[in-house]
Amino acid sequence: MDLSTITPYGLASADKREFLGGQLQQLTDWHRANCEPYARVLDRLWSPSPAAPGLEDLPFLPVRLFKEMELLSVPRSDVVKTMTSSGTGGKLSRIFLDKATAALQIKVLAKIMADFIGPQRLPMLVIDSRSTVSDRLKFSARTAGILGFSMFGREVEFALDDDMQLNLPRVMRFLEKYPDGPILLFGFTFMVWQHLVLALEDLAQHLPLERGVLIHGGGWKQMLAQAVDASVFKARLAQVAGLRRVHNYYGMVEQTGSIFMECEAGHLHASSFSEIIIRDPRDFSALGPGQAGLIEVLSVIPRSYPGHILLSEDLGEWGGEDDCPCGRLGRHFKVHGRIQQAEVRGCSDTYTR
Amino acid sequence: MTPIPAELRARIDFLVGQPDSLCELPVPVFAPARLAFLADLSSQLMQDVRHLDLPDVVTFAFWCRKAHLARIASAAQDDRLRVGLGLVFHICPSNVPVNTAFSLAFGLLSGNSCVLRLPSASTPTLDILLAAIATTLARPEHESVRSAVALLRYAHDDEINAWWLSQADGRVIWGGDATVAHMRSFPTPARSREVAFADRYSFCALGAPAVCALPEAELKGLCSRLFNDLYLMDQNACSSPHLLAWVGTATEVEAAQARLWAAFEHEALARYTLEPIAAMDKFVEACTRSVQDEEVLRIHRHGNGLYRLALSGLHSSPTTRRGHHGMVYEVAVDSIDAVAPWVDPRFQTLTYFGLDVALLRSFLVRHRLRGIDRVVPVGRALDMGMQWDGYDLMSCLSRLVDIQ
Repeated sequence: MDLSTITPYGLASADKREFLGGQLQQLTDWHRANCEPYARVLDRLWSPSPAAPGLEDLPFLPVRLFKEMELLSVPRSDVVKTMTSSGTGGKLSRIFLDKATAALQIKVLAKIMADFIGPQRLPMLVIDSRSTVSDRLKFSARTAGILGFSMFGREVEFALDDDMQLNLPRVMRFLEKYPDGPILLFGFTFMVWQHLVLALEDLAQHLPLERGVLIHGGGWKQMLAQAVDASVFKARLAQVAGLRRVHNYYGMVEQTGSIFMECEAGHLHASSFSEIIIRDPRDFSALGPGQAGLIEVLSVIPRSYPGHILLSEDLGEWGGEDDCPCGRLGRHFKVHGRIQQAEVRGCSDTYTR
Repeated sequence: MTPIPAELRARIDFLVGQPDSLCELPVPVFAPARLAFLADLSSQLMQDVRHLDLPDVVTFAFWCRKAHLARIASAAQDDRLRVGLGLVFHICPSNVPVNTAFSLAFGLLSGNSCVLRLPSASTPTLDILLAAIATTLARPEHESVRSAVALLRYAHDDEINAWWLSQADGRVIWGGDATVAHMRSFPTPARSREVAFADRYSFCALGAPAVCALPEAELKGLCSRLFNDLYLMDQNACSSPHLLAWVGTATEVEAAQARLWAAFEHEALARYTLEPIAAMDKFVEACTRSVQDEEVLRIHRHGNGLYRLALSGLHSSPTTRRGHHGMVYEVAVDSIDAVAPWVDPRFQTLTYFGLDVALLRSFLVRHRLRGIDRVVPVGRALDMGMQWDGYDLMSCLSRLVDIQ
């Protein structure tokens, strides 16, 4: 696929639908032909698609299925990298990448990132510890995120020690080393909150990060448990570090690369390479703007595994399309959080020890 | 009775009943004082739940109303003398809170004093039941029953379990295989008896021609009853069906399915509130089955409320194929006999519609089946009673005295 002509946020609705529709239909056909389990699910659970299917008509898999079984659409010998994510329930999601898919992840992510931080590599400060990436036993979504985003930085430095303490002298040395120009900061939302914001507040210190651009992701669950929402997070970051360019992102290991970035207006955006559909939990019908439901994520990247159209376990709503004040085209949306575990009724396991 | 050792007593919360006044001595079955207490409890509950949406409590209250108890008593009694065992210890289920009340009623009606370990989680149902039991017991006319009831809470504590099990003349264990096995690991008196509710499997058999022939108005009723069996406990009760065996020719079955499910979707499904997590669980299970279960031919979805998984036949045991929150396996068979090879002791309830009950009885006998303890019409899967799970609970929890 030649991406060079496509800008990440430059496709208006009709053009995007045509581009994405074609790409995703091709991927669906590819996976059906090359991944037997995928074909079985489609044959048993889906009716034949209409003559001219829209994005909403394309079959989707539950993202949790990658925790239940191994799914790949290329010979195992072509797999160059296996990504895993834990998440809820403790079972591992296993995602198999071949060379082409891995390369496409980088290409797409680079396009998206360039739109927010520019095409040049920036000095990068990771709000995490070096051991998170160096210790192979601790490989996690955090490791993958840090490694992935490090490609857009240079002279990568870590702000935290292995015991997750903020190392202020090291951070100050880093900032003095690069006195001019923007700096890329990256970290998981909760790490940034706990080990940067709260740590600085505890020390009654201020960091001069006015020229920083913070990219953070990983979910709000622990934050909301502390009653910290996006506006509180941003206000306190501005207070302790003068950081005003702060971008959250939404993404999952099952669709690495085509992440959804938060713009200056506080909206998460689908890019030209991805789409978001909100589905009614009652019947999986596609919902319109302003209606909350399950988030389905679509991506042109996954070719080595059938993960191009996935129904996530997150709830959210989309707000509009091609109408964000930030000027980026495409759908923008909000994430409300993970669906709740239900209380089980039934006869068994009443005295689980 | 033997006083509870002080160090154990300190770890037990007596919600209803006093540790010192507990009396383990039995009375005859269906003793008038017990009937009167339960009838008053029924009235109390009916009052308490007037403004609440707690159908399970209503079901229990309706079951132990005065007239119904009198009917049960007169049907069960003859000239022979039956008295309780003495002290019966109950491990109550947390996921079906109302069964705590049924368990107590069964124990009392059988002439026993009852000590119940309640689930640790408090639920609206359990709270209402506890309050009503306490209020009713406190009335002066129920003084004699007061010393026969103790409702307890304690953390998972095997010392306390072991003590009650060493004292009890009978035990009623809810909670499935794991709990039953655990409670059996403690020493019990040689003469003590056990009623153990293990993990079970239930299914439904439908006569296709009868469904096709059903007048429109009665079809609605059938949908509503089937809905109750499947959805009132999210299909998690041991008597909730997982398999629907359609009896008839291929053409009959196809026509009957089309008719029933169209009506079901229209009439019944709207009553169900499906949590997003349940919708997701079902979707994941359906995908997993599509890939891993060779016998699943096709999956029909009615919104997310109902998933129907069509089986190519009964080529392996259906007991591993369980659905939840409205997910059923369907199979077409020439005759109910096709199910027989798979019936094992795990099978509990067979709900039926459009099949001759005499034929079902002969099916059980002819195949010398080791399972299926209940054969009830569609709609009664969840109806709790003193005949349950293959037990006649009154007989199990009482002694027959032979007087010549």
